[in-house]
Amino acid sequence: MIDQLHQRLQALQRGPGIKGRPGTLPFGVPAIDTMLGGGFVLGALHEIAATGETHLPAAIGFALAVAKRAVPSLRLIWISEDMAFAESGAPHGSGLDAFGLAPEQLVTVSAAHRRDLLWAMEEALRCGATTAVIGEMRAGTIDGVAIRRLSLAAAESGTLAFLLRTKPPGDASTAATRWLVGAAPSIVTGASRLAAQLVRNRRGPTGAWILEWSGSDGQFILATHAQPLAAPTLDRPHRQVA
Amino acid sequence: MLSLWLRRLSTDRIVRSRKHETSVPLVVTGKRGNVEVLTATDDAARRLGLTSGLALAQARAMHPGIDVVAENIEADAALLDSIADWSLRYTPLVACDIPDGLLLDVSGCAHLYGGERELIADLSSRLEKSGFAYSLAIAGTIGAAWAAARYGEPANYACGEERNVLTPLPLSALRLPPAAVASLARVGLKRIGDIVDLPRAPLTARFGPDVLRQLDRALGHEHEPLTPRLPVARYVAEQRFPEPIGREEDVLAITVRLARRLQSALERRGDGIRRIELSLFRTDGVVRRIAAGTSRPLRDPEEIRALFVERLAVLADALDPGFGFDMARLSVLIAEPCPPEQIGIAGGEDTAELCRLIDRLSARLGPRRVRRLVAQDSHIPELAETALPAQTFNDDTGWSTFRRYRKEIDLPPRPLRLLARPEPIEAVAEVPDGPPLRFRWRCTLHEVVAAEGPERIEGAWWSEHGGPARDYFRVEDKSGLRFWLFRAGLYRDRANVSGTPAWFLHGTFA
Repeated sequence: MIDQLHQRLQALQRGPGIKGRPGTLPFGVPAIDTMLGGGFVLGALHEIAATGETHLPAAIGFALAVAKRAVPSLRLIWISEDMAFAESGAPHGSGLDAFGLAPEQLVTVSAAHRRDLLWAMEEALRCGATTAVIGEMRAGTIDGVAIRRLSLAAAESGTLAFLLRTKPPGDASTAATRWLVGAAPSIVTGASRLAAQLVRNRRGPTGAWILEWSGSDGQFILATHAQPLAAPTLDRPHRQVA
Repeated sequence: MLSLWLRRLSTDRIVRSRKHETSVPLVVTGKRGNVEVLTATDDAARRLGLTSGLALAQARAMHPGIDVVAENIEADAALLDSIADWSLRYTPLVACDIPDGLLLDVSGCAHLYGGERELIADLSSRLEKSGFAYSLAIAGTIGAAWAAARYGEPANYACGEERNVLTPLPLSALRLPPAAVASLARVGLKRIGDIVDLPRAPLTARFGPDVLRQLDRALGHEHEPLTPRLPVARYVAEQRFPEPIGREEDVLAITVRLARRLQSALERRGDGIRRIELSLFRTDGVVRRIAAGTSRPLRDPEEIRALFVERLAVLADALDPGFGFDMARLSVLIAEPCPPEQIGIAGGEDTAELCRLIDRLSARLGPRRVRRLVAQDSHIPELAETALPAQTFNDDTGWSTFRRYRKEIDLPPRPLRLLARPEPIEAVAEVPDGPPLRFRWRCTLHEVVAAEGPERIEGAWWSEHGGPARDYFRVEDKSGLRFWLFRAGLYRDRANVSGTPAWFLHGTFA
């Protein structure tokens, strides 16, 4: 009897999003994929926080880029609080198109309250017809129960869930991964670079990378830091010493 | 045609809103011209000889003890509207007969109550319980019913009896303007019977065409259309309850039952619903209407139920069943042809699932909060696209055309997010058309290290509202943040008018 109850309890207590062998979405950068154990875990919640309010576009770009890798057909739901659309701007179709995302596959939802946002995210995750759900929330905390609910909802349908936050959160979380993403200076304008830091990973190690997004082939490539280095020293026979 | 006349509408409204009853005569007054006159009186006041049209000063002189209340036309109209809503339980064709009457087309509906007599009995008892003075009549035409309710014996007249009903009534029963009635009276024509058999041509020549038209309409020689208050739904299912219901589960269960009834009717005609409304009739006469939209034609009762689950979740307490609902009606406001579905083709299931999700989200949050981006035919960034409700717009969003256009002209990159309105920034830039060197946005100084541009975007030459030409730059600051900003106007144009052109930030890149 007790054993049975123990077993039931264990079944109920399974970690959200980490089922027996969940599918993964390869990130495309081998260094990161090995850290994540094959890529982004599908059917799990991933927290992506901007390093600061102004770096939010980079965080959004990171989330969209990962979602975009979910081929063949992408159905994306972007749920956001009213304030977020007003403050950071609404999604721009031609921009999304240039980024490599087809705007017709995006449905935007603006929620008036935090609880509407969470409800809509959960509904969208449970539905199973979407490939990825992005929930964008402004400053403020979110309790562990909500995160767990979202994780379970994602696990049910195997949908990729992103919780986007404007500030690095201080709270502990049960999400599968937590990223800190900010913009990084690029060498050539046109190729956007971002600094992604994996600060929490249920599967193990963490790390930090500088990534460059190339929209044309929809790939991230690992880039080096753009800080200028001292030029190599060379002999200068052409310069006459006075 | 049933004509209902609430002869003491304004005073009944005031009496109903009071907590305790008084026997003081009540009059309602309003300004007509420069004089404060009585516009409505209750029975006690009428017994004292106070009638509408009397000047207030005169009435006060006659009976100083009367209770005077200022008129409130809006409240009267609102009350009449709510009574009209309530009488939808008898027929879907209800018209307001301003200021104090209703017209109900009960043809074909009376048998639901067991006949016209029973319908009248039901209506009368409910009106009496609510404390309204009324008189009503059923006749073959609107005119005859109207006249009988106000001037004749309130009763139930059969079709074809109009002439007998109307003959003894005064001419004002024909809904003629008072001036016409007065001029007819001047030549001794006072009753409808006086003009029924008169030669038509001289009558028209002397008193205008209105008199005979109204007579013809009342007698049924000419058709008079009824304009219903609300559009009549194509599909309706309703259910009356012997015992009022109030719990949410019961309401949902009844919704499913009604939806099942609708389903067979919809299937026969090959239609599906796009917008559906649930009307709940409360025992005390209030009607609750809850509407829900769908993103594609729908028939499945369970899916209809799912929509109302969300709608009720938003309403929560606002449903307020009071003493319960004694009737529910499900009407299809918008129906569309719904092709028979083929199940099992790959991809189709997912689309249906997504539509269901959109419907649920729209039902809970409101259709204008769940949107899809639609490309527009404009090159001005903020006009180039709009976000439309995903429910109403789910087929061609114009992006394939846009993509072709983008390839063709090799459109420079656009930001991922566009601010609702460009935000002014303080920028230091190279004159005349260089990118900014540094700028301040939302109190933060950004040092520009790289810039691309300009891309000039101008309004159409024929439009005056395009504003000055904009030179857009894509800039990157020291920390790698990428912005889309523009200079409105040129230095050359503005140099002698208002100093330097203004700079704005319009969007952000990933």
